[in-house]
Amino acid sequence: MVEPTRSIWIDDRVPGREAEVLRREAADTERRERSSRTTVAAWQILLLGALLAGWSGASGRIVDRLFLSDPVSIARAFWRIVADGSLEFHLRYTLTETLLGYVLGASSGLLAAVGTWLVPVAAPALRPLVLLAYATPKIALAPLMILWFGIGILPKVILAATFVFFVVYLNTMAGLGTVSGGLVNVVRVMGATPAAVFRKVVLPNAMPFVVAGLRITIPAALIGAIVAEFISSNRGVGYLINAASSRYRTADVFAAIFGLLIVVIAMNAGVSTLERRWLPWVTRERSPLG
Amino acid sequence: MSTAGSERAPARPACVLEARGVYKVFVTSGRAGRRVMTALRDVNLGVRPGEFLTLVGPSGCGKSTVLNLFAGLTEASDGAVLHDGRPIRGINTRGGYVTQEDNLLPWRTTLANVEIALELKGVPRDERRDKALAYLERVGLKGFEHHYPHELSGGMRKRVSIVRTLVDESVNVILMDEPFGPLDAQTRLVLQDELLQLWQDSGRTIVFVTHDLVEAIALSDRIAIFTRAPGTIKEIRDVPIPRPRDVFHIHEAPGFADVYDPLWNDLRAEITRGPEPSFG
Repeated sequence: MVEPTRSIWIDDRVPGREAEVLRREAADTERRERSSRTTVAAWQILLLGALLAGWSGASGRIVDRLFLSDPVSIARAFWRIVADGSLEFHLRYTLTETLLGYVLGASSGLLAAVGTWLVPVAAPALRPLVLLAYATPKIALAPLMILWFGIGILPKVILAATFVFFVVYLNTMAGLGTVSGGLVNVVRVMGATPAAVFRKVVLPNAMPFVVAGLRITIPAALIGAIVAEFISSNRGVGYLINAASSRYRTADVFAAIFGLLIVVIAMNAGVSTLERRWLPWVTRERSPLG
Repeated sequence: MSTAGSERAPARPACVLEARGVYKVFVTSGRAGRRVMTALRDVNLGVRPGEFLTLVGPSGCGKSTVLNLFAGLTEASDGAVLHDGRPIRGINTRGGYVTQEDNLLPWRTTLANVEIALELKGVPRDERRDKALAYLERVGLKGFEHHYPHELSGGMRKRVSIVRTLVDESVNVILMDEPFGPLDAQTRLVLQDELLQLWQDSGRTIVFVTHDLVEAIALSDRIAIFTRAPGTIKEIRDVPIPRPRDVFHIHEAPGFADVYDPLWNDLRAEITRGPEPSFG
């Protein structure tokens, strides 16, 4: 059966048989795409619904409410910390630490990678140091950070930055290394200076790697900030979570986590937007995070 | 003018592969909405058992799409595509498929790359080993069985990728999409010669896509010329040059010009025609 499609315009000069085939295939494609969209949406709703229903069902029956709380109580708790402004107060603090740490870590990682790449002996000379630093569990440094930088915002920013730095550094180094010799030679013969080669070929070529690094470090920066807040702080979402859990207010803990989740999703969307604007030439598979 | 397959058993269908009134249209969904494009328009083509048939035509005329239809990699939008008289449904595993890239598995040795075709069809280990070794020897790759693809030259890799399709006896049709495109001119000639030798003993049917008219003449029994997109078959010409042929001096073979000139005229008309208004 051939359904009429709205979106297809077929020239009058196309012979009848061919026009019929074109119309039928277009209609098939439209139907297929529509049904796959519906299937995906149905699964998404179903899975989310199952999570919420399972959570509600388990809470108080299989698992003590103290451990799990339940979606309705969490929504209520979330609304309460939004309404009384405490989420905004703490989130602003945590967000400041996270963003400062992220920008500091990302920019120093990027610059360090470029510097290392430009100085021929730097990469091999630095390798043992980088390996040592990479192997160190950054989270174990948190108590030292407090010792060194006090209990203000600084240790949180620095811990967040260390979480970001290495990933961006290593990703950028990897990206700088992928440039093809042919591409470089072509512009060199056109008269490009080494600086121009770097600016116009090597760096743009590395950008997809840099952006991948920027994307995977968003939650890492937040982890750094939160962990530092856990250890010593009287404000921030980490403090909020700590305080709520020490008073067995599980719903408040989840509500605060939900607040963090919104931050990560918003930052991820920000990086995606920048990527689309700055790197429209990158052809890639759809990221698993959409 | 087929030499290898003309005296086959009469019980077989007249065509190994057949396209009857085939249309292939592509629907693309983009930001600007949905668009349709006709790749093949009413293609009718019968491939005779044992023949070497070449498809030539301008870039983007749908030659490769025809091969993909025969391989079962894509489905016709309208019309019928048959293999041994039966409609092709799903992947056609009785066809061999050779593309421009050699598509060898980098983690398998030469021998293992040839064996994979038999492995996937459940042939016992010893048997597939013997068959693969025999074919490798025929194309002069004895001694390279345990080399990995990156250790072979382009020509050697191409030999492996051809032999890999021939080793499976259930395959009676080899589909080749510009297989020699990326090779240098000398290697190309050597491989053309080897391909003819492999084919002449085998009784297999070959459908070959190329841009190179000299290559088409050197290899083929018949040549089908496509119009520019939307592709349809403009003409099918016989190549009455006797076999065995000397591919290295094919341009000196008697009658070469009688084949080449009309072929080139057909093709030139398609390449130089002004752009047709795009439909849809």
